[in-house]
Amino acid sequence: MASDGRVTRFNAAERIVHWVVALAFGYAALTGLALWSPRLFWLAAVFGGGTTARAWHPWGGVVFTAALAVMFLKWARAMRIDADDRTWLARAHRYAVHDHAGLPEPGRFNAGQKALFWLQSAAAALLLASGVVLWLPESMPRALREASILIHPLAAVASIGGIILHVYMGTAAVPKALRGMIQGWVTPRWAALHHPKWYREIRK
Amino acid sequence: MSQDLQAVSATPGGAAGSDVDTTSLAKLIDTSTCIGCKACEAACQEWNDHPVTLAPFDGTYQSQPDLSHSFWNLIKFNETEIDGAPAWLMSKYQCMHCIDPGCLRSCPAPGAIVQHANGIVDFVPEQCIGCGYCMTGCPFDVPKFDPYTKKVYKCTLCTDRVSVGLEPACIKACPTSCLTFGARDELIQIAEERAETLREDGFQAAGVYNPAGVGGTQVLYVLRHADQPEAYGLPADPQIPWTVTLWKGPLKWLGNLVFVGGVLGAFLHYVRYGPQAEEAPEDARDGE
Repeated sequence: MASDGRVTRFNAAERIVHWVVALAFGYAALTGLALWSPRLFWLAAVFGGGTTARAWHPWGGVVFTAALAVMFLKWARAMRIDADDRTWLARAHRYAVHDHAGLPEPGRFNAGQKALFWLQSAAAALLLASGVVLWLPESMPRALREASILIHPLAAVASIGGIILHVYMGTAAVPKALRGMIQGWVTPRWAALHHPKWYREIRK
Repeated sequence: MSQDLQAVSATPGGAAGSDVDTTSLAKLIDTSTCIGCKACEAACQEWNDHPVTLAPFDGTYQSQPDLSHSFWNLIKFNETEIDGAPAWLMSKYQCMHCIDPGCLRSCPAPGAIVQHANGIVDFVPEQCIGCGYCMTGCPFDVPKFDPYTKKVYKCTLCTDRVSVGLEPACIKACPTSCLTFGARDELIQIAEERAETLREDGFQAAGVYNPAGVGGTQVLYVLRHADQPEAYGLPADPQIPWTVTLWKGPLKWLGNLVFVGGVLGAFLHYVRYGPQAEEAPEDARDGE
């Protein structure tokens, strides 16, 4: 903790990895949505046309999963879900209406963030596996292609659904959380409110 | 798009002209009179300006192992035994021009696959984005990927010839008239009559191949052994993969619910409950 009243929330490496994941995800998600529905095919035009979107979408996915793998190695340990987290998740509806009574104190990541982490990791594994099959259909067996054509959008729906919630939480719903991921610091009182267990630990 | 289309890929609501009653065309392949001469293969290559492709001789009377992006018409050859008798089965293989085409259903690019009012299913390379979903949607494994143009191609049923009143090139070249082209209703009738004749001749299992799983096809077969279409290299019960149907149907609605519900839900939550508190109260500060 710095003496200038700033608590380091995420160091530079964590922030860079996070935003590489985010940018690649955004690109893959938007070009993917173009192929998801004809009503969203105009998105392909935004990204250079259908052929270009089809050609580069997989590379967006490669960057996304590679960066997410780095993120996974950095955070997997801190993301382990314990008994407190399970209690927190069971009472998440109370958190949503700002009733924090009876909610276990979160550590560096709260249970919602942890759940998102595991959701995204699982979805990314499925997206990568099915994505490789859809990438090179001419050299893949039919059974794999038939499975992937369903698994890929299914995992994408789960992933994008999680990210919609994540973006809302990280911007509008929790003020000043975004600064922690961009500039990397939060105030002590922010940390004390949102991640009290973590704050006590780093204050030692 | 002209008004002679009845379905266009990735275009909900049908196509202009889809209510126009046009004669559905078809090709009939009577395998019992096919001599395996491969004139149709040559005619197809020639009309479509495809290169001569040589495959190593592997001991069969089949010229190529499979269809390719520049080889749309293949005489499959299968030497086997049926009911204790040797069988030399020659059968022409190409796009089946399904009534309910799995390629068109699975295509995400608007206008890349069209079904003409006369039933011909055609790929439009200008609109094709090369995703290859049609290859998975097609239960006959017909569309083939071209690694050079990165697009997918298949038999057009010579729609360029048909649209000016000519028969497809393969039909034109067939020396035994085992191939015929015309109105689908009439050809089904002719096929049934031909199958009946074959049954009278002792081929009890003779019948017409017009699989219902894809709504019927516009390429029809008369088979001496219609109970064993696999022996001819034809799938017994072709269906559009259920994963494609699920993805294009219920999953789409689930996804739309998640996307729209997620954004709307977040917005409504903010309006109703507002943000979380920003910081802990003063007295909780820094722990002095």
